[in-house]
Amino acid sequence: MTNPLRGEVIRLYKNLLYLGREYPKGTAYFRERLKTAFMKNKDVTDPEKIQKLIDRGDFVIKELEALYYLRKYRAMKKRYYEPEH
Amino acid sequence: MASRALAQCVRSLARASARLNEGRTACVLLAAAQRPLSSWTCNQRTSRTELLRIPSPSVHLCRHYSDAPPLTLDDIQERVLYVLKLYDKINPDVLKSTSHFMKDLGLDSLDQVEIIMAMEDEFGFEIPDGDGEKLMTPEEIVTYIADKKDVYE
Repeated sequence: MTNPLRGEVIRLYKNLLYLGREYPKGTAYFRERLKTAFMKNKDVTDPEKIQKLIDRGDFVIKELEALYYLRKYRAMKKRYYEPEH
Repeated sequence: MASRALAQCVRSLARASARLNEGRTACVLLAAAQRPLSSWTCNQRTSRTELLRIPSPSVHLCRHYSDAPPLTLDDIQERVLYVLKLYDKINPDVLKSTSHFMKDLGLDSLDQVEIIMAMEDEFGFEIPDGDGEKLMTPEEIVTYIADKKDVYE
């Protein structure tokens, strides 16, 4: 019942949920997709597979951060430089 | 023309500095007044007559420290149940203070994580993962928050 990786999975879910609050398509959309992705893999019991899925989740976190940085960069550029033609 | 403006500026600066000095002396006297009575008799530099010279309008407090209204167990429980009723996967009619998230409300561990995050947003402090996993009823959440906020009423 108690899997040593359970805490890591929950922490990953928590971090992703927190990052998804500013998703461009909306929080509800992000949360539904996140829940679906986690539920799709809820029967996995192999520790190696779970670790792979956790690594993939970390990768998604990095992608989300990059997305937000890019959005911020574009916003600042739009405010301080003239639009390119 | 310019000399007149300069003179006015100098006068206003002098008045401002005088006000600042008055404020400082008033603060010093207030600090002296706040000392215990025993130090009054021992201290020979300041006498009672000097302390009595404080003008009454300057004694009023100039700082107002804001704080949240004090919490009670009823307030915490009310807010917890309100947040839970707003959650889209919980039926408000079935919800009670002793409803178990998994057995009575039909949620899973991920939904419980979302509920814990909602409680963090509502009360403004972070719940560690280890503690968050053990909170399975609204009653336990209320007890946990009361412990964190030192609420006993």
